Amino acid sequence: MPPKAWSPACANASPARPDAMDFVVTTLLNALTLISILMLVGLGLAISFGLMNVTNLAHGEFVTVGAFAVYFIQSVGGSFWVGLAAAPIAGAVVGCILEFAIIRHLYSRPVSTVLATWGVSLILQQGLELTFGLGAKPVTPPIEGTLDLFFTVYPAYRLILIAIAMLTLLGVILLINRTSFGLDIRTVIQNREMAEGVGINTRRTYAIAFTFGAAIAGLAGGLVAPLAIVLPQMGVNYLANAFFVVIVGGVGSIGGLVAGSVFVGGLTSVLNYQISPSLAQAIVLLAAIVAVRLRPNGLFNGASR
Amino acid sequence: MIARDRNWLVIFAVCAALAVAYPLIADGYQLTVIRDALIFGLFAASLDFFWGRTGILCFGHAAFFGIGGYIMALVTLNDAIPFGSLLGVMGAVAGAAFVAAIIGYFLFFGGIRGSYFTIVTLAMGVICQQAAVSWSSVTGGDSGLIGIPPIAFDVGGLHVDLSQDLPSYIFVAAIVALVVLALWSISRGRWGTVLTAIQDNEVRAAALGHNAPLRLLVTFILSAAIAGLAGALYVCMAGLVAPDLSGLLLSTEVIVWVAVGGRGTLLGPVLGAIVIQRAQQTISSFNPSLWPLLLGCVFVIIVFVLPDGILSIYARLKSLFRGRRQAQ
Repeated sequence: MPPKAWSPACANASPARPDAMDFVVTTLLNALTLISILMLVGLGLAISFGLMNVTNLAHGEFVTVGAFAVYFIQSVGGSFWVGLAAAPIAGAVVGCILEFAIIRHLYSRPVSTVLATWGVSLILQQGLELTFGLGAKPVTPPIEGTLDLFFTVYPAYRLILIAIAMLTLLGVILLINRTSFGLDIRTVIQNREMAEGVGINTRRTYAIAFTFGAAIAGLAGGLVAPLAIVLPQMGVNYLANAFFVVIVGGVGSIGGLVAGSVFVGGLTSVLNYQISPSLAQAIVLLAAIVAVRLRPNGLFNGASR
Repeated sequence: MIARDRNWLVIFAVCAALAVAYPLIADGYQLTVIRDALIFGLFAASLDFFWGRTGILCFGHAAFFGIGGYIMALVTLNDAIPFGSLLGVMGAVAGAAFVAAIIGYFLFFGGIRGSYFTIVTLAMGVICQQAAVSWSSVTGGDSGLIGIPPIAFDVGGLHVDLSQDLPSYIFVAAIVALVVLALWSISRGRWGTVLTAIQDNEVRAAALGHNAPLRLLVTFILSAAIAGLAGALYVCMAGLVAPDLSGLLLSTEVIVWVAVGGRGTLLGPVLGAIVIQRAQQTISSFNPSLWPLLLGCVFVIIVFVLPDGILSIYARLKSLFRGRRQAQ
C-alpha cells in the first residue's frame, strides 16, 4: 500500500512543525514499541518466575519460536497475519511440552530448574539452527510505509504492534479479573495449599498458566519479527530484559509489570539515542541493580502479595 | 582430621603426582593441551568456590574470566608499561575483583539471592560480551587482540620465561595446585562453616551475629579474582583474546564442568574441566554445531540423572552394594 493513503489531509502542514516536537514524539513512540514488547515477554515471566517461583531460562526461546513461526509461514507463501496467528500457538506448544516434560518435576529444586531450562534453551537454539540453517531470517512487515501523526511521521507497522500489544494486555487483565479461570489462578497464587483444599487442581492451573505465558511470549516474537534480526540466538536479549522487567517492577501485579517495562524499555530507548546500544544495555543493567538495592520489593510494590 | 578431609587430600596428592609425572610421557603438544585445560580447571574451581559453598549460582562467571583476559592483554601489549606480565596479572585480578565488588555489593546488600542473583549475573555476562564486541577501539571488536606475549618476569634474580612448553606447564600446574589447596583450606575452615550456615538458613546465621551479606560479598570477590587470574593466564598461553572468553557459552560450560565434576569438591570441577574439554575437542572436530546441542542434553541429564556429579556414581554404587549386603 502506498504511504500516501495513510496520510491524513493535514500532511501538508509538516514544514511548520518544530523539530524538537518531532524528536520527542518519535522517541516516545520508539519507547512505547519496546515497552509493549517487554510487557508481553515479561508477562509470561511474571507468571512463571514471579508467581510459580520457576526460573525458566528457556523463556527467550518462546520469543524465538514465535518469530520463526512467522518466518516459516511467510517462506511457504502464507501472509504475515497467518504467521502472527501461528506464533502464539508455536509458543504454547513448546511451553506445554517444556512444562510437562521438565518443569513440573522440578518445582522443589530451583537450581536444577535453572540448569535444565538452560539446557532446553541450548537444544532449541541448535535445533532451530540445524533446521533452518545459519544466518538471519528475513521477515517482511504486513504494511509498508508510514503514518503521519501531525507531530511526526512514524512507521505504520510499529503503531499496529503497539495497538495489538495493548489489546493483548487488556485481554489478559480481563481474563485474570473477570473469568473463573482467572479466579483459580489468583487463588493458587495467594495460597497453594488452600487452593488445593477448596478443590482447585493446582498442577493443571500451573500448567495452563505456564503455557499461556509461553503463548504470549510467542506472540511477542511474532510481532517483533519484522523489526528484529531473526536468529536462533535472539531470545537471550529478550530473556535478560524481561527478567529485569519482572525484578524491577516487583512480582505479583500487572501494575508492577507495566512499571518495570516502562523503566527498562523507556531507559533503553532514550539511551539508545545518545550512546551505543551495548553501553546503553550496561547502564540499564546498572540502573536496574541500583533500583533493586533501593526498592527491594519492586518499584510498584504490588498489594496483592 | 576427619575421614572426608583425608580422602580429599589423598585424591589431591594422586592428582598432583599424575601432574608431575605427565611431562615424562607426554610430548610438547600434549603438555600444552593439558596446560590450557588446567587453566579452565582453575576457572571451574573459582566458580565452585562460590557456587559450591554458598549455593548461589553465578551465571556470568565468564565475564570475570574475560575481564581478566582483556586487562592482561591490554597491559602486556602496551610497551610503555614496565613489568608487563606481573602488572598485567595484578591488574587482571584487581579488575575482576573490582567489578565483582560493585555488582556484589548492590546485590548482596539489596537482599538479592537465589534465582534473582543468577539472572542478574546472566545479564552481566551478556553485556560484557556485547561490550567486548562493540568497544572495538580498545578490545579489537569481534576479532579480539592477538600477539600477546608469554609471561616473563624476574623475581629475586631468577628469570622466569614461560615461552617454552614445559616451563609454562609447570608454572600453570603449580598455580592451579596452590590455589585449589588454598581454596580448600578456606572452605573447610571457619569461613566455609559460616558460609554453610548462611546457605542453610541466612536469618539464623545473621541472628548468631554473622554479617551474611559481607561474607557472601567477600567470597564472591575472591571467586571473581581467581576467575580473572585464570583469564589472564589463558590469554598469555593462547596469545590472543576474543569476545568469546567473556561469553555466555563459556559461562555455561564452566557450570557444566562444576556440575559434572561435583559441586563443592573443588577438585572435581578441575577434573570435570579437563575431561569435558577433551570430549568437546573430539566432538567439535567432526561437527562444530553439535557441541552446544550435546551441552544442552548434558544439562538436562545432569539434573535428572546425576544431580551430584560424576563422583556421586561411586557413592551411589557403594550405597547400593551396602544395601544389598544388608538385605542378604
